[in-house]
Amino acid sequence: MLVGRNITFRVGSKKLISEISASFTPGGLHLLVGPNGAGKSTLVKVLARLLRPQTGSVEYEGADVVHASEAELAKRRAVLSQAIEIAFPLTVREVVMMGRYPHFSGRPGPTDEQIVDEVMRHFDVVEFKDRYYQSLSGGERQRVNFARVLAQLWDHTTDSCRYLFLDEPLTFLDIRHQIDFMKRIRSFTKEADVVTVGVVHDLNLAARFADQILMLDRGRVVANGSPSEVLTTERIKQVFGVEPTMVHTEDSGIHLIFGTGSV
Amino acid sequence: MTTQHGRRQFVLVALVVVTLLVLLASIRYGAIDFSIAEISRALASLFPGQPEPTLDQRIFLELRFPRAILCLLVGASLGVGGTLMQALFRNPIVEPGLVGTSSGAAFGSALFFVLGGVFHIGTSLWSLPIAACAGGVISTYLVFLLARSREDGRASIVMLLLTGLAVNALFMSAIGFLSYIARDPQARSITFWSLGTLSGASWKAVEIVALSTVLGSIVALRYAKQLNALMIGEEEATYLGVNVNRLKWIILSVNVVIVAVATAFTGVISFVGLIVPHILRMLGGADNRFLIVGSALTGATLLTLADLIARLSVRPAELPIGIVTSAVGVPVFIFLLRRRQYVF
Amino acid sequence: MKRLIIFFTCVVLLGASCARFHNAPTESKDARYVVISPIYNEVIWALGAQNTVVGIDLSTTYPPEVKNVQTVGYHRALSAEGILSLHPTAIIHDNNIGPPQVVQQLQQLNISMKQFSAKNDSFDGTKALIREMGAYFHKESRAEELCNTLDTQRTASLEKVKQFTDHPRVAVIHFGRASNVYLVVGKGSGGDGGGVSQMIELAGGEMAVENTGGRGMQRMESPEIIAKANPDVILLTDYGYDRLGGSTDQIKALPGVATSNAARDNRIFRIEENVLNYFGPRSGENIAKVAEIIHKK
Repeated sequence: MLVGRNITFRVGSKKLISEISASFTPGGLHLLVGPNGAGKSTLVKVLARLLRPQTGSVEYEGADVVHASEAELAKRRAVLSQAIEIAFPLTVREVVMMGRYPHFSGRPGPTDEQIVDEVMRHFDVVEFKDRYYQSLSGGERQRVNFARVLAQLWDHTTDSCRYLFLDEPLTFLDIRHQIDFMKRIRSFTKEADVVTVGVVHDLNLAARFADQILMLDRGRVVANGSPSEVLTTERIKQVFGVEPTMVHTEDSGIHLIFGTGSV
Repeated sequence: MTTQHGRRQFVLVALVVVTLLVLLASIRYGAIDFSIAEISRALASLFPGQPEPTLDQRIFLELRFPRAILCLLVGASLGVGGTLMQALFRNPIVEPGLVGTSSGAAFGSALFFVLGGVFHIGTSLWSLPIAACAGGVISTYLVFLLARSREDGRASIVMLLLTGLAVNALFMSAIGFLSYIARDPQARSITFWSLGTLSGASWKAVEIVALSTVLGSIVALRYAKQLNALMIGEEEATYLGVNVNRLKWIILSVNVVIVAVATAFTGVISFVGLIVPHILRMLGGADNRFLIVGSALTGATLLTLADLIARLSVRPAELPIGIVTSAVGVPVFIFLLRRRQYVF
Repeated sequence: MKRLIIFFTCVVLLGASCARFHNAPTESKDARYVVISPIYNEVIWALGAQNTVVGIDLSTTYPPEVKNVQTVGYHRALSAEGILSLHPTAIIHDNNIGPPQVVQQLQQLNISMKQFSAKNDSFDGTKALIREMGAYFHKESRAEELCNTLDTQRTASLEKVKQFTDHPRVAVIHFGRASNVYLVVGKGSGGDGGGVSQMIELAGGEMAVENTGGRGMQRMESPEIIAKANPDVILLTDYGYDRLGGSTDQIKALPGVATSNAARDNRIFRIEENVLNYFGPRSGENIAKVAEIIHKK
């Protein structure tokens, strides 16, 4: 269970997020949505302990993580970001192996090698394993990054939950890969001890895949609940400045259609 | 994975062999050529009961041999320094001197030359390297201090690069000022020192540089895995459990020590730190454990080859070694720039 | 993989191809000197003792025959091994050698180092030096001849100088190779500019630029130095003159030169450093040479 209490994060005199409180249960996919500058990415970074808030606290299973060591935290918390740039010739397998770094010192053990192989199979990147990361396309690279991130969390190393954060990982991906990714994320989060918090821009994807949606605007929470609770026409119009047409399909999913007349 | 691993082992073994061959050439050839027999006799004279060494044997034992070893050590320092800097800056076009270390060390030495004349400071073998180290430490610390952001005390790599540029410019003009006020003989020392030379080598110098090189490399190896993680980004490295700020301080300190100590004894030698990691990456990829060991060996080899050229091409005179490394280094640098491999 | 093999082959070939001939050991007990000083070398050649010299420094350029001797490099960037490879019995220098570590190495190896006490900072000093060196090289009678020639030539030159009725104001510009800047020599100064001032005055000229105290030469950082002095004649020593390609326009572009009388009358001339800057065996006749140049219209 991940709990954020009264979090405020400032840069200089500007507050990026103010007094945000929220809790995220394991086993479900929690997504943050909001317009540009709403503070979604900042919140994820605070929850992932990359940034320390000026006020408030972040608790992993009831324990404040402010003083946890980087090395210890890395064994149970991983972050998938937008595509990373690498300036050196690293092979795909080397990149995925980095996900295991928190779990060994010195050389990787047989378990690490095994997990890396499994994870690469799972994400269909085995054919690339000796190719240089730089030579891959955007979609292929993100699959590799995903593999790396999950390699970090693959085994249940401690009794605590595992925390997966997604900081706009779908940028640079085409529609097929976006849906593919969201499916894989969802299947991973189904594991009972995984807490997943992610940021996505596409409201339809959020509607489709999220168990819980947190909507942010100008650094504050404006709605928190299931997709159907949060994604109402008035709210979307108020926060995003566009008016959607809602379509409900048989599988009870919500679909939002934005025409040119919406703005 | 095994193919890459096997390849790296092969490369490292081959590098050890090449380094030994080049070392052999270095102790044999020069203004005076020594045959294996003469070398053996010179070494034998060290044992009790053997005849006193002749002048030529003393030249070998006190000048040539320490010079060859010092060359290996300085080359190794510069090679490892280059790898560390490129890993830290996540940029393949970076040199140890970029964070101000070389220019600071040069300034320390220049100050020593000028003030030494005025205050008649003793010209003991240690005063100069200590002055150079002090200069290197001050300039590097200054860079790091100025590059810190006011909000969170972190120093991003871009800020370090830019500040390093500025501090380098500051110290180079300070050196210019020193040569302006220097009496001519001192000014000449400054000029030639900044071109680099191995001619001042002695066993005492070897002791000190060996200490800094070996210790520095061992520390660097311990952090090799963390430097690997840094390759995918500072944030990503943090997520993998690396304390990035601490890593930067430690690696920067190691860089300062090994480069400043080497510079103190040989003057400013450029481009070794730039070229060596590139060669290694071409041979075996970017893993830092492989790079650190490999660049120590490759740096040692390249500098020894450069010293051979410096000593043989105009013998009995000598070229300053910095000229040789620049002559090779500048075209390589331009070639690398054009390949556009860097990321800023 | 192919690249690997090519790379290593090249390295090994390079290392192996450094094979050079082994030095033949010298058994003879003859004197073998490495002489690191332009004036000492000039005197040695004048004394006829040059067959004892096995090594000279890069700055020694006179007489032209010195080209036949091995050079051991620039006097401030020496290498102990390089010097010792010539198996000298002594190293003769004028206390202007470096780097300090190399000097230490030579002392450590108990190599004989010799310096002469007389200094060539005046005619008398030069004669003392010639005599001292004559004694050292066992060429005493030749040394006396040189001193006499020096005196005779000086007297003859001074006579010639009396022909000239004018006393041109002369500025001397020298290029300092170590500091890489142009320098102006001061009047009556010691240090590096010592010889120059005396030579100009003996040649019937007047040093246009005052001495700035103690160092002999000052940098041309301000155009006022030359402009205020307003010399009638400007002399540039050979290296500095050739560096500008001998182009009068470029010389006039140096700070303060363009507005001077010398520039206006195009009385800007080249002069050899070893004629003007220091005293030596040829200084007697050099006075006349300098006089010719500065009185040229």
